[in-house]
Formats: sequence, structure tokens, C-alpha cells
Amino acid sequence: MIGLTSAFGAAGVPFAATPFIASWNPSAKAKAVGAPVKVDVTKIDPGQQIQIGWRKQPVFVIRHSQEAIKNIESSLSKLADPNSEAIEEPYRNMNPTRSKSPEYTVLVGVCTHLGCSPKFFPEVEPKSWDASWTGGYFCPCHGSMFDLVGRVFKGVPAPTNLKVPPHNFKGNILTIGEDEEMS
Amino acid sequence: MSDNISKVFNWVNHRLPIQNTYERHLSKHPVPKKVNFWYLFGALAAVVLIIQIVSGIWLIMLYTPGEQAFASIEYMMRDVDYGWAIRYMHTTGASMFFAVVYLHMFRGLLYGSYQKPKELVWIFGCTIYLAMMAEGFLGYVLPYGQMSYWGAQVIISLFGALPYIGESLELWIRGDYYISGITVNRFFALHVVALPLVLIALVFLHLIALHEVGAGNPEGVDIEAHTDEDGVPLDSVPFFPYKVLNALVGIGVFMTVFAIIMFFFPEGGGYFIEYANYEEANPLVTPDHIAPVWYYSPYYSILRAVPDKLGGFAAMGAAVAIFFVVPWLDRSKVASIRYKGILSKIALVLFGISFLTLGYLGTVSVTEHRKTMGVICTFIYFSYFLLMPIYTSIEKTKPVPDRL
Amino acid sequence: MISLQKLSTDLLWIKGFFIILFSFLYFNLEAAEGAPCKDYGECDEFKHTLNDMSSLQSGASTFLTYCYGCHSLEYSRWNRVAKDLDIPEEIFFDNLVFDPSVKPGDLMAGSMSKIESAEWFGVAPPDLTLVTRLHGSDWVYTYLRTFYEDSSKQYGVNNLVYPGAAMPNVLASLQGNQQLTCKEVPIIAKNGGEKRDDFGNTITKQKCGFLTVEDGTGSLNEEEFDALIYDLTNFLTYVGDPDKVERERIGWYVVFFFIIFTTLSSLLYREYQKDYH
Repeated sequence: MIGLTSAFGAAGVPFAATPFIASWNPSAKAKAVGAPVKVDVTKIDPGQQIQIGWRKQPVFVIRHSQEAIKNIESSLSKLADPNSEAIEEPYRNMNPTRSKSPEYTVLVGVCTHLGCSPKFFPEVEPKSWDASWTGGYFCPCHGSMFDLVGRVFKGVPAPTNLKVPPHNFKGNILTIGEDEEMS
Repeated sequence: MSDNISKVFNWVNHRLPIQNTYERHLSKHPVPKKVNFWYLFGALAAVVLIIQIVSGIWLIMLYTPGEQAFASIEYMMRDVDYGWAIRYMHTTGASMFFAVVYLHMFRGLLYGSYQKPKELVWIFGCTIYLAMMAEGFLGYVLPYGQMSYWGAQVIISLFGALPYIGESLELWIRGDYYISGITVNRFFALHVVALPLVLIALVFLHLIALHEVGAGNPEGVDIEAHTDEDGVPLDSVPFFPYKVLNALVGIGVFMTVFAIIMFFFPEGGGYFIEYANYEEANPLVTPDHIAPVWYYSPYYSILRAVPDKLGGFAAMGAAVAIFFVVPWLDRSKVASIRYKGILSKIALVLFGISFLTLGYLGTVSVTEHRKTMGVICTFIYFSYFLLMPIYTSIEKTKPVPDRL
Repeated sequence: MISLQKLSTDLLWIKGFFIILFSFLYFNLEAAEGAPCKDYGECDEFKHTLNDMSSLQSGASTFLTYCYGCHSLEYSRWNRVAKDLDIPEEIFFDNLVFDPSVKPGDLMAGSMSKIESAEWFGVAPPDLTLVTRLHGSDWVYTYLRTFYEDSSKQYGVNNLVYPGAAMPNVLASLQGNQQLTCKEVPIIAKNGGEKRDDFGNTITKQKCGFLTVEDGTGSLNEEEFDALIYDLTNFLTYVGDPDKVERERIGWYVVFFFIIFTTLSSLLYREYQKDYH
């Protein structure tokens, strides 16, 4: 009888805990703010990136120059995971840019190490952190490096490539955070 | 008149053990008659705890959590009479709390304050330290400046290192897709209600356990071994007034230092309040150089010394957790460093040095050279604990005197 | 009481501890962060004089004339500034506040909308209430004096302290046109003297990055301009920490109180110790 009463009482604990734990989930309001954003990508100069906020996270949109696209595989030997096998890659094998467009790359600008925002250094020139720098992203917090399409280098603290958010191109308009074709 | 007062007192005393508790834990509580300044930091920690609670209650009246957090800090600093005094008291108190607790813990390692039968006192103390680290972190997020934001971003991302559940755990902690007003609100609740309750309960347990087994002394002598006919240790003095007066001198010196910092150097050169925190949080831009506040920096260095996300997190956790098992790592027959062998002395000196060096490294940016130094110091840090069973059992100790 | 022998062994340990500690830390001392004032190097030193009301008043006047058009001081209030700077409210509001709708207790929230200005400048001009606490007064003092002409930039100027700053040099009419120039400087030999060739002439090399103001282009000379920037920075230092003077004044009393308290309690402690032994 003691056992039964204890077991019954204990079974109630998860139910009692539910509201306390569940109330920490993102609220409907927080989810609503995380709606998709639209941007006209033709305004970006080739070789440059723009930064936009999506769910208050920085998202990088890079318009590659012809030359950069040709050289996209030049840093292959430095990369830890060139084919993004360690992460969920939404547009695998579609384009070398990892996006739905052969010219643009769309990345969540949050380092996969501890969440800082990496900085964009497109120039091909020696840098203090890498003498054979061929353009890409460098994180000021813990020194992680990524190439121009957000693939992580070997021997840096970041474990995986930068994430590609779901996105969609319609003419000049890029929608970030939503992709009807995916679902 | 005085007759009436004593009647009231007796009436209460029969129903509530006031006199008994007062005598047992304060007026007649025996403490070792000879201790040195290292034995003051416990009392000083209690003083800072009171300062933090009182100034904290007043800060709640002035602070607005959520999206207005940053503006409300400037409001209290400018528009509220003496608002700056309340806030600087609290920020200075936070740094001073860690300073005295670190010295208090070092005293423990120096004089073996964890040895049998004081294991529980030590464990409650370590738990207080753990709760303080959480409390300090939550408090640092509340002003919602750039350093609050990115510091929290890094710490919350640490949970993302956990396999499988990491990412959803991060989202659950934040309650939003970034560290927003929603996150600040819940951190505020934890900082001002939940963790202070835990801290006060732990401090209570720490003291009760201490009074059960009695305070230590730098000689490591068991004063309970020689008592008079009333059972009072011969080498003891009553807590009141001797220990109280002794503590009062220490408190005087401490408060002088406290006041100098609070009124003249509240930012502590960017170590107590980081300069980058004078800019409101911006989720889209990381500051060029982010560093934790000084009291976490040794652990931050350990995190950086391990070039692996989960491994770094584990090393950092282990560096704190290892304090809990110290009572079982020390195999020495003596408690105090004064009677331990040369190996223990060298180990403690190297540990102290590596801890301070790690602390320094955590506040500066990484270079190849510093990375190597960080690895060496992390290695020394863990060796101090992990080799303790070996060096404390093989070394030759000196005989401990009978009396204090 | 501690025996002398014990004390000396303790001191030996403490000495050894610090020697090893400093040698450990010494290995890590290297300039990895880069200079605080970027291309300018070390910032020029700024020593505030928060009791100098005429300096603060002139700084406030410069700020409200040249800076307030774009930059707000949104945590500071008009009447507080007037009071702290010893300016009678009437004079202050008649001469320095250009917006008639401002009430004395209002925050100095700026005269531009954030969204409009972000469109004009690409980025909204930041609020400057806390600029001296964020970057330091040295930085502000140096920054304001190191604009130079650079036609490749949007506003025709660039800055040594903040390369690529998206801000025109609004004080150019006072300072004049400042340019980056090169000049011949003597090469310093290893012994510290100037290197000379076989004929005894000093060998020079070209060094660049010197700031030079084109003569006659500004209404102030260099000294006057530096003084103006000094006052402006002094004012911004005050706005960043308006209670500093008051805080330090009270601080002396508090510190003094605790010193007396410590002395008294140690005397009392000694008294009781005597009585116990």
C-alpha cells in the first residue's frame, strides 16, 4: 500500500512539472517575430555581402564574383567537411554555393562554435591568422575560419560548417526562413 | 520595568530556543584561540552576501527587465538620487564576493579545511561557489549591454555542445531565437529569487555543519582533544567578543578597500564592469574582443585550451567539479601545509600560479604562444588534484603539536 | 604570536611564489590586440578637468552647435546639464537649446529620427551619452582630431582612429583641411643617434602617416582647435559619468570613516586580548 501510494504520487510529478518546463519554450509571440524576411539581392555588388537580421540572427548573403566561383574549390585541402556531411544541408548537391542559386550564398552568420558572428574578409591576401588566406570568414572570438561559402577549416574550434537557412529565390527577391518547395 | 522585559523574554524563550541558539552558535561557541588572517574571509563573505542582498533588493526597485533593461540602468545611474551608489555597491560587491571566496577556498587548500570530519562543510562550500557562478552569470546578463549579450551567447552555446539535445536545449533556455527581453526576464527571476534562496539555504547548511564539527586552525590541531571539566576546549576562546572583534578589524580593512573601489574605481579598469557593456546589446555585431569578467577567466582559459567544442565544455565543468572530491584525494595524515611535505608545498604553489596565469590568459586574446601556456597551465591545474593521492601519501610529514 | 622563524619561512614561500608567477605572466606579455587607436597607434592622453566649468560650458556649446544635429544624448536631461554646468536655466535655454518645444526636464533625445538618419548615413549616428565610457576619453579626444581628406570615401574624409568611419568631419571649417602627408625623417642608428653618411650628412627615409593641416583653411589654429576638442571631450566625459565629482567627494568621507573604524576596532580588539591572556 505504501508502494502503491508512493508510485501514484510520483507519477504525478512529471505532470506537475510540465507547465514549469513548457513555459520556457518560445512563446507564440517569439515565434511570430521569427517570420521570413525578403530582400532584393541584385542590389549587392559582386564580391560583397550584405547582412540582414532574421529572427534577430545575422544572415549573410554573398554575391560571388565570377572569379570567386571559379576558385571555390581552391581551399579544398584546408576544409574539414567540404561536402557538409556532418550537418543537415538543405540544398546538398544543388550548387557549389550551397544555396539555391549559382551566384549567391545564404548563411546564418553565427559561428557553430560558441555563437559569435564571424567577420567577412573577401580579399585574397595574407592575414595575421592565416598566411594563405583566400577569402572567407574569420571569427574574432575563438579564431574559427570558414571559406567564402561558409565551410569550416580544419584545426579550428568550430565543429561544423555555417548553417544554410531555408530560403527561396523568386526573380530578384530572396526570401529567408521559408521554402515552400521543401516541405 | 526590567522585570517585565525578562518576563516577556522568558515567555518567548520557553516557546522558541532563543537563548540556547544564541549561546550555542554565537556567544559561547568555542573557536580556536590562534588563527591568522586567512581565517577572516569566511566572515567577509558573509558581509558581502548581506551587502549584495540589501543592494540587490533596492536595485529591483530601480531596474526594468525585458527590452528596456539597458535604458533602465542609465535611468537609475542618472535620474535616481544615489542610484549610482546602489548599483556600484552591487557591482563592486559581485567582484569582491568572488575575491573573498577565492581566498577563502585557497585557505581551505592551504590548511586542509576539508579533511575529516569537515567533508560536508567543504562540499556545501563548493556548492555555494557553484551557485555563485550561476548567480554572477545571470546578473551579468541583466544590463543587456554588448558584453552581457555575447557573454550569454557563448555560455548558452556551451549547452549546444551536448549531443542530440544541445540545440533544442539552447532554444529552451533562451525562450527565443536570440537572447531577447524574454531571456532577460527569466534570468532576472532566477537571479533575484531562485538562486538567492538556494544560496541562503546553502550558507545556512555550511554554517550548521561547521558549528557541528568546529572551526579549524592553521596548525591543524584538533582542539577538541583537550577540554576542561565543562567540555570547553582549552585552546579555544568564546566567539563573542573575541572572534567578533577580530573579524571587525578585518571587516574594517575590507570595507576600506571596498569603498575605494566603489567610489573611485567602480569599473576596476574594465575588469569589474567591462567597457563594451556601455553599448546596448546588438545581436548582429560581435565586439572585436570578448572576454569574461575576471572571476570566470581561469575556466574560460581552460575551455579555450581544449580544441574541441564538447571537450572544452567537459574540461571546464571538470575543473569546477574536481573541488568537490578534494577531501578524498588528500591522503595526508596532517591537515596543515605547515606540517605537510615538500611535494604538497610545491604542488600548491604551482597550482596557485597556474590558476592566476589562466585567469590572466582568459582576459586577453589568443595567440599561438598564449595557447601553449594555457595548455601547460591547464595541465598543472588538473595535475594538482589528480596527483594529490600520490604525493600526499608518499611524502614525509612533520609531527603535529598536541596543543595550539 | 607568530614566531620569527615561521615568519621568515612563510616569507620565503611568498617570495618564491611571486617570482615564478611573474615569470609565467612575463612569457605571455605581447601586444596581440593591436593599438587602441588603430592606424594612429597609441591614443593621445586626455586628462579630464570636471571642475572646470568654463571648459565644460564651452564643450557643451560646441556639442549642441556641431554634434547635436545628428547625435543624441538620450540618457541625459537638459536641466540636469544646465545645473551641473552652472549655467542659469534661462541663459541655457535661450542660447544653447535650438528647439523651442523642449521642456527643461526632457531627455536630450536628438533632433533626428533614427530611421531617417539610417537612410541618410547608411547607419544611424550613435547616441553619445556613453561614448567616453565605451571607448575612453583618450580615444574620443584622438578620434576627433584625426580626420583626413580621402576622396575615396563617401564624405571625402577618413579617420586614423576609426578607419572607414561613416561620418563627415563637421569641424573641418574650424580645423581646416587635414591631410596625410609623408616627410623625410632621420634614420636612427642602433646606438640611438642619427645615422650619417660618409660626409656627415644625416641619412633620411620617407615616412608617411603624418597629419598636416593646409595653411589658412581653418578658422582656428592648431592650438585653439585642440583646446576646442579638449573642452568637447571634457563635456562628453562629464555626460558619460555625471556623478563622478560628487561620488569621489563622498568617497573620501566614506574611506576616512572606515579607516577610523578599523583603527578603533583594532584598539578594542587589543584591549580584549590583553584581558584574556
